[in-house]
Amino acid sequence: MKAGGIALLLLFAAGVAHASGYRIDTVTDQLRSPATLAFLPDGRLLVGERPGRLRVIDAQGRVQPQAISGLPDGGLDATSSLIDVVPDPDFAQTRRLFISHMQGTTKANFLRISTARLDGDRLVDLRTLFDAKPAKPGRSNFGGRLLFLPDRTLVFSVGDGFDAREQAQNLRSHLGKLLRLNRDGSVPADNPFVQHGDAAPEVYSVGHRNVQGLAYDEVNRRLYANDHGAKGGDEINLIQPGLNHGWPLVTFGVDYIGARVTPYTALPGLAPPLLHWTPSIAPSAIAVSRSARFPQWQGDLFNAALAGRGVYRVRLDGVREVQQEKLFGELDARIRDVKFGPDGLLYLLTDGAEARLLRVSPAP
Amino acid sequence: MNLRKHRPLILSFLLAVLVAALLGSVIQTQFNLAALQAMGAPMPAEVRLRTTGQDLIGFTPAYAGIVCAAFLVALPVGAWLTRRLSRTLGPWVLALAAVAGVGIALQVTDAVAPMPTLIAATRSTAGTAAMLLGAAVGGLLFALLRLRRRERAA
Repeated sequence: MKAGGIALLLLFAAGVAHASGYRIDTVTDQLRSPATLAFLPDGRLLVGERPGRLRVIDAQGRVQPQAISGLPDGGLDATSSLIDVVPDPDFAQTRRLFISHMQGTTKANFLRISTARLDGDRLVDLRTLFDAKPAKPGRSNFGGRLLFLPDRTLVFSVGDGFDAREQAQNLRSHLGKLLRLNRDGSVPADNPFVQHGDAAPEVYSVGHRNVQGLAYDEVNRRLYANDHGAKGGDEINLIQPGLNHGWPLVTFGVDYIGARVTPYTALPGLAPPLLHWTPSIAPSAIAVSRSARFPQWQGDLFNAALAGRGVYRVRLDGVREVQQEKLFGELDARIRDVKFGPDGLLYLLTDGAEARLLRVSPAP
Repeated sequence: MNLRKHRPLILSFLLAVLVAALLGSVIQTQFNLAALQAMGAPMPAEVRLRTTGQDLIGFTPAYAGIVCAAFLVALPVGAWLTRRLSRTLGPWVLALAAVAGVGIALQVTDAVAPMPTLIAATRSTAGTAAMLLGAAVGGLLFALLRLRRRERAA
């Protein structure tokens, strides 16, 4: 009884500490179907909205009434055009943005990476950097997450397009892969399959379904990806050039209708995930915490979740998960993007037609 | 509606749905496993059997729902056509009606569902045709059960 009482007291104390560990402020609630947020070195914040709008939030947190003009017109309707936006690592000099979006029709579409220069509130000098091949039908599994590595190469995900899942194992296809390019669209000479016969030279890693989160940890030089599984089988993967992560030969999930995608959760030669979520949380983004503002979260992975309605914080010891906690469940919101800002604070983008940008800071 | 009077009809219908759904489940598993084999995955008989069994439990309920909806329209239409056209061709007309019904139901499901193709095996013409063969067996079974019933009554 006494032990039970102490346990109850500890549980209560932990709950209070947790609840008072951070504070959430709303930066804006004026967003419409946002997909991604990006920080510019001048203190401004960009929010890409799916219908193909780029909104600007100034350093004081005010949403500019005028969206940035000159975005590429993807051709698909308003539900699924713009996916991600990242500034050039040398944005202060080049003022260039890199944009991923879908291009084509519902019957045949593909991921396009475009780049343009931000001139005031408009994009100029819009160029196509890359088109993923082959085209695929439908509006599922686009991938499209962009990330610059420290060597200034651009890594990005191409989804398997749902119907083309076997293409994730085909080295000649861009579908179901992570790809890597130089900023001018050329292929880095040290890409893993450059010397590999008829493989697509852009391929960086193989066997992904729909990677929506990419994050680089500069401290231990690791690239993490979270892959949006089918019914179950959401994964965090540790990415290394040339590794095959197995989709659809191995997965912990099943198809949405209940059929097995594969009998296997592991096979020789296929890299296992660091962890998987079954049932699904529907991961939409991933961030690594190296913020001095949150010393208690050093090195932890923050996985934004749509169906999971929160952010799943994962602590690793090497490649082993040692702790996991769902954060911000009190918002009861689908989270579309999660990023640590240059101020060290954590920014969350909620999902949907009426969405918010939230800032998480340590409790005073 | 007098349930007792229609019990044989309802049982025949449910049996037809069940057979079409079970056959469809077994068939779609083989198409999915063939795609994995083509990518180099090992497929010993034990794994094939186990996966087929898992799909009978995991896939059949949802697919039976699709088949049931399709048969609710297709089999009465087929029976009506049989009466109008030719009783001797009845089983084949009902088999064709079942194929058409499930074929249309799959199209409607894909049009409504967010993904391009809900059932992976129906991405190819061969896979769709094989699944529809299962539906045909369901339609045929329904016709034969009804025929036998009528012969008994006569």
